[in-house]
Amino acid sequence: MSASDADPLIQMQNVDKFFGDFQALKNINLEVHRGERIVVCGPSGSGKSTMIRCINRLEEHSAGRIIIDGNELTDKVKDIDAVRREVGMVFQSFNLFPHMTIAKNLMIAQQLVRKTPKGQAREIAMHYLERVKIPEQADKYPIQLSGGQQQRVAIARALCMQPEIMLFDEPTSALDPEMISEVLDVMIDLANDGMTMIVVTHEMGFARSVADRVIFMDAGEIVEEAKPEEFFDNPVHERTKLFLSQILAH
Amino acid sequence: MEALTGWWDDYAWGSLVVAKVFLTSIGLMVLFGLIGAGAKLSNIRIAQKLAGAYTVIFRGTPEILVILLLYFGSAIALTSITQMFDPEVKFVDVPPFWAGTFAIAIIVGSYATETFRGAFLGVSPGSIEAARALGMSPLQTFIYIRIPEMWRIALPPFGNHMLSLIKDTALISIIGLNETLFVAKQAIATTNKPFTMYIFVGLIYLAFSSAITLSVMGLEKFGKRTTEGAR
Repeated sequence: MSASDADPLIQMQNVDKFFGDFQALKNINLEVHRGERIVVCGPSGSGKSTMIRCINRLEEHSAGRIIIDGNELTDKVKDIDAVRREVGMVFQSFNLFPHMTIAKNLMIAQQLVRKTPKGQAREIAMHYLERVKIPEQADKYPIQLSGGQQQRVAIARALCMQPEIMLFDEPTSALDPEMISEVLDVMIDLANDGMTMIVVTHEMGFARSVADRVIFMDAGEIVEEAKPEEFFDNPVHERTKLFLSQILAH
Repeated sequence: MEALTGWWDDYAWGSLVVAKVFLTSIGLMVLFGLIGAGAKLSNIRIAQKLAGAYTVIFRGTPEILVILLLYFGSAIALTSITQMFDPEVKFVDVPPFWAGTFAIAIIVGSYATETFRGAFLGVSPGSIEAARALGMSPLQTFIYIRIPEMWRIALPPFGNHMLSLIKDTALISIIGLNETLFVAKQAIATTNKPFTMYIFVGLIYLAFSSAITLSVMGLEKFGKRTTEGAR
């Protein structure tokens, strides 16, 4: 049951998330349409990561509904698998499989989940490695690559599954400053290709130039949601102003 | 050394028995260790308790006692079960090979339980999350991500467990398994050369344990190929 293009690709309705007594998400409502690029920012502990982790069920939401391209996330394994096939994720700490070569990192899920034959999986892997501009690293192991290269591999690995949506959870936060731009360049390239993206980041330059909407979260709530120019030039809420003054000060 | 003449065959067969016990018990030991570690890491209370009791009991009692208890205990149990069907039967003998192999595998498996548990906990949670996010099933994640990462962590202590196993095979002579130490005792009875015979058994065990140590070193090197090398 696939939704039409007019329907939102991601719908979160009244989503709550508790960790024990702590409420990490409070009544989150979010719609993301095909091709939209959303940047999520906010102070640490504000629920940004938790929100995007709920979208591919790395966290289970406690209440409300999450619907991805017509599939509602429930306890059913089948639904979760269907959603995970459509949603790619890039983590702060890369999370490459340390015991596999770069090429194998990109092939393993294709072979196991998509049942792609080995030769074809390798071709797809090489295609995306070229896209992130490191095909020559294919037969090395993750530890032999720099952080920026590892993160680009992680992006390529997610792309190999041909997802409809890409989630980025602070993709540049663990990187040395000189490696941030090589990762952002790949993300901008993806955005220009029309990929639906939700990016948790503090890279405000990226937000300004790439995002269709910027979402500001604080204490588990979406406080403000606006186009980047409005968000940066005329923030409405006090909490947003305070956050922006702190993050743009240096 | 001429005292050994005439006993070469017996020692060769004894060594073969040692090798057979060792290889069989490794398989069982890994099985017990994985079950124990799985139970300890599960969310099931009763499984955790049972695995806890397993490690406490078998790490906390002398190995030779466990071998004797298992050998005679299983013989008594099997005898009474058989007598239920056929009252004529006086005594059912349990093969010392299986009783002994099982006993040392259970004992060393209790140590392996802790080793495997620690190694599973050492697998980076990030890898597991990445596998889940890529749509891999829990079983696929276990086989392709957890196991390959955990065996590298478990290997050095696992090498020690294998050395324990090979040495424990000598204990099985007490229940009449014709391994090398058993052969030595027979040889001593006829030749009256205990020193020569026992030294020779020692050399056989040294050969086995050296082979194990070298294999573990080789495996460690193989496992490390992914984590070394300049950028």
